[in-house]
Amino acid sequence: MPATDARSGTKTILVIDDDPDFTAAIRSVLEHEGYAVVEARSGAEGLEKLRAHEPDLVVLDVMMESSTEGYGVSETIKYSEQYRAFDSTPIIMVSSIHESPDERYPRAPEVDMIRPDRYLTKPLDIPAFLEIVRKTLHR
Amino acid sequence: MPGVGSPGREAGRVEASPGVESVVVIDDDYAMRLSCEQALAKAGYQVETFGDGAGGLEAVGRAHPGLVVVDLKMPGLSGLEVIARLQAIDPTITIIVITGYATIGTAVDAMKAGAYDFLPKPFLPDELRLIVRRGFERRHLQLASRQCELDRELERRRFVTFVSHQLKTPLVAVHQYLDVLRQLGDTPEAAARRAEWLDRCLVRTDELRRLIDDWLTLAQLEGGTLGRERVPLDLCEIVRSVTAHYEVLADQEGVTIAVETPDAPSTVHGDRTCLGVLVDNLVANAIKYNRRGGQVVVHTENGRGEVVLEIRDTGLGIPADALPRLFDDFFRIRRRGARPIEGTGLGLPICRRIATEHGGVIEVESTDGSGSTFRVRLPAAGHAGGAHP
Repeated sequence: MPATDARSGTKTILVIDDDPDFTAAIRSVLEHEGYAVVEARSGAEGLEKLRAHEPDLVVLDVMMESSTEGYGVSETIKYSEQYRAFDSTPIIMVSSIHESPDERYPRAPEVDMIRPDRYLTKPLDIPAFLEIVRKTLHR
Repeated sequence: MPGVGSPGREAGRVEASPGVESVVVIDDDYAMRLSCEQALAKAGYQVETFGDGAGGLEAVGRAHPGLVVVDLKMPGLSGLEVIARLQAIDPTITIIVITGYATIGTAVDAMKAGAYDFLPKPFLPDELRLIVRRGFERRHLQLASRQCELDRELERRRFVTFVSHQLKTPLVAVHQYLDVLRQLGDTPEAAARRAEWLDRCLVRTDELRRLIDDWLTLAQLEGGTLGRERVPLDLCEIVRSVTAHYEVLADQEGVTIAVETPDAPSTVHGDRTCLGVLVDNLVANAIKYNRRGGQVVVHTENGRGEVVLEIRDTGLGIPADALPRLFDDFFRIRRRGARPIEGTGLGLPICRRIATEHGGVIEVESTDGSGSTFRVRLPAAGHAGGAHP
């Protein structure tokens, strides 16, 4: 998906998280690094903005309105026919729960479908997070 | 949504196959094997027979039958060894020992080792069928109860995860603000945001404090360390004192409060602090989820054997799909694009708990967009439990 604005070279990051404070903090460091940031407060809004903004990377919270909302979003982006154009958009999943989907649902066959490119625990270690964002965007 | 949320998904393999039940028979006596096979096949079981322990164990590992009939006295592996190995292969397997009278003592040992029952030789086909049928019945009960335990454990783990997430959320926000401010250092971005973000940090720490307070209240109510007092109280008096406390806030929000009380006191047996919290939470909600120019009516009525308290507001109302979850721990109504209203999501669970502890009920009626009515029915003093029909 050619999401990057070709003229400016600015990469766009979609942050899907229901906590406006967490998003505000993350947004400012990302913008400081020269990225454009789009915010969404729910999974549904996230999917709408995915279409509208065609981001280069999605930062996705897990527990929003439901406990597994982020998993559903991840599965939709990667496997739904409707969002096929975005199936290779990298996803960094973030949650305050110290459990990746694999730990949370051991042996569940669906885990393969929700496994993100990266799983990070909140609060984010900012330098490490920025490094992962850089590597993910330039791989 | 992926199906990963369904309970029991990660619970491991516990299944009672709905189709044909299968039985493995291990006995070195050919005639015995043949008669067992015939007796059980006639009852609809799928039967495999083996003349020695090794062959039987191999079949159990491969086909996972629900039940094994094993002779205790065999050349090669002894019956007791077979029992131990069967249990190592499948701890849920049901084992029935068949044995001659001479080895009753060993049969007792077999039972101690985990066999379900034993049948002395010689036996009638009906006796074998009866004991096998009972073995399967017990097995199904055991499997069902094990599944229940696993589901409960899973539910408990999910709940712990959920609560810790709720408590961590404000903490994460504060940490992230402070960390980002430190990372941005003396940049203009940081300077522009410092004051606003510090304010947000204070708001979020306050949220965390209230969350912990409410959570503690709920835990104390559930643990029975709060709200044990039962003294005669006039609910109207509590209502008057709570509403007086909210006059200033209501004024600020442009909401008027009307108190309607009956002439006679509305006496209930209860805990003053808890009933105060109950009325307080409901009145606070009625103001908080109202609009400018709106109204709150707190109406108390003495019914038949009960005291009915109604808190009606002209506020935002509750969407129909949110009503069933309204009293769930941490549940919040989210309105897209709307200004978020602060709250812990524990106020109504606390109210429900208090009402229940007092032998009463709490109900809600609401139309989205046009106000809500919360109704608490408590047994009137001298009518304990009267609020439950």
